[in-house]
Amino acid sequence: MKQSIRSPRVRRSYGAMRTMRTILAGAVTAIGALTAMPTTASAQEIQLTGPLAGAPSVRKLRLYRQGRFEIAPGIGQTLLDEYNRTTFVTLRLQYNVFDWLGVGVYGGFGALNLSTDLADKVQDTAPRNNRVGTNICSPPACNAAGGGFTGPKYTDQVGKLKYMAAPQITFSPFRGKLALFQKLFVDTDLYIHGGVAFVGVEERKDCTNCTQLASFTTDTRTAIAPTFGLGLTLYTHGLVSFNIEYRAFPFSWNRGGFDTKGAPPDASFPDTKIDKEDRTFKFNQMVGLSVGFSLPSAPKLSD
Amino acid sequence: MKQARFWLLMAAAMLVPQAALAQPKKPGGKPAAPAKPPPTAPPAGGAGGDLGDIDSPAGAPAGGDTGLPPAGGDTGAPATGSSGGICEIDPSACPKASDIQALSNKNVRADVYAVQQIYALRRGRVELMPYWSFSLNDQFVSHLGPGLGVNYYLTNVLAIGFNGTFHQPFNGDSDFNFQNRRATRLAVPLNEYQAAGTVNFTYVPMYGKFSGFDKFIFHYDGYIVGGVGALRTRPIAVIDPDNRKFDYDWRLAMSVGIGLRVFLNRWFAVTGELRDYIYIEQLEATSVAKTQTDQRNPDTWFGEKPLTNNVQAQIGISMFLPFSWEYRLPK
Repeated sequence: MKQSIRSPRVRRSYGAMRTMRTILAGAVTAIGALTAMPTTASAQEIQLTGPLAGAPSVRKLRLYRQGRFEIAPGIGQTLLDEYNRTTFVTLRLQYNVFDWLGVGVYGGFGALNLSTDLADKVQDTAPRNNRVGTNICSPPACNAAGGGFTGPKYTDQVGKLKYMAAPQITFSPFRGKLALFQKLFVDTDLYIHGGVAFVGVEERKDCTNCTQLASFTTDTRTAIAPTFGLGLTLYTHGLVSFNIEYRAFPFSWNRGGFDTKGAPPDASFPDTKIDKEDRTFKFNQMVGLSVGFSLPSAPKLSD
Repeated sequence: MKQARFWLLMAAAMLVPQAALAQPKKPGGKPAAPAKPPPTAPPAGGAGGDLGDIDSPAGAPAGGDTGLPPAGGDTGAPATGSSGGICEIDPSACPKASDIQALSNKNVRADVYAVQQIYALRRGRVELMPYWSFSLNDQFVSHLGPGLGVNYYLTNVLAIGFNGTFHQPFNGDSDFNFQNRRATRLAVPLNEYQAAGTVNFTYVPMYGKFSGFDKFIFHYDGYIVGGVGALRTRPIAVIDPDNRKFDYDWRLAMSVGIGLRVFLNRWFAVTGELRDYIYIEQLEATSVAKTQTDQRNPDTWFGEKPLTNNVQAQIGISMFLPFSWEYRLPK
């Protein structure tokens, strides 16, 4: 009866309200149904809110680095060499201010310089004529006697790494342990290092009349380059550790002793001179193994 | 309107929190009826707490060696109270002195493992390992390429699988080759790869964990891998490019390698692997035939067949399927 006296506008309003309520109820029901669906919360890992909340991940950690001085002799071998490989005898001196941060010096002496197969082939089979006279000693400056060649060897003119000294910072964010066959287990850490390398480079000396015998000699200079890499240390004893490390020290140098650049228009053609224009960029790399001795010999324990 | 109320009530009922989801199921269904002390339980009023009930000999005061008075004091809820001990919930499960005696005489395997429970079990799981590969020992031509490894773990430490790498569009002839040729008039025979694939056995002898920044822990393992397969390679014509054109051909290859896998969770890891593919390469002949007819004869194009080591570094990710598992023993 009441409805009958309402104006059509009011009826429309009531109808709209009912529709709204139905939609609202349906929406709430749908949300409720979604909320009531079994969730995966029961399988989630426990979020620590008790006394362990905020606690360090490891207690009583042996602090192999913090407050200790390390002497690490070792060897290093260069990688991806074009004309000459270098084996370094290395030494790292490092003081670890914290367990995660150390400062020190890495040094190496190029004890062994071995020519690659390519350098040997250039020496043995490359033609010796005026077309290559700037790059390889050729007649008449170097003699071809009795069908063979006498003169300075090509392998003597190629670039070589002679020494390296690198003040560096070592950052050791990762500490852990490693189990081998479930029998042997050692503490380890993973670190990255970075610094500035002063590298002694022996390369063909600068010349302007580069077909002469005297121009096929070498000179030594110090190249400055960034150095960085990463390494893994295995602590088998409080005093002794073993270390494997990768190191990069990119810079430009003239590895083959060739005249390759310098001529106009864009200096990308040979200019019959040997100078710094002929140095090309090389991402020099090496891997090293070392044995570390840390003092004091007994590491402290963390809280 | 009535319908709306009905739906609202339904929604409210469904929104009731389901707190039982994560609760452990109580043994025996209903809680045990109170008031019946277990046969070996200490006298009422003598318990200092649940541990005192279980560990103390029958009839001994809870104070034990400490000489505390048997009265419960602050914690002296009687054993028949609702303190929630196992003896109250299920009297039949309440340890007896004879049980403890028998347990103490039992032989125990006293092995203590370096890592008690392996973070990510591998047995029966399939590992998918997409990676990017790049060569480490070829200064003349870089051999890059994407690859995929698939392994099935027969045991927790041994897997069988295969991996394949596609190199063809990614071979890079170094600028150094050109410089060397121009400077010495000496060409080095170069080769490029189309693809490589091997069937492998993987052995995982070591695993461990790292603490990062003393804040979080992640696990890793190290593995060795070996297998047999093939490479498809061909010489790049540098000695006589006007006449020579080479097709890819199969080379039988052995492979050995080592790898490191760092787990970000129990089914996802970052991997790094060093792999040496050892095979006999076919090089381009360094001499050119004298007559044009012979120069166009493919029989004169091929030269030495040296044993070659193609050392590749492979950086990628690992995904283990199924994603989860159940440990055989509790932690």
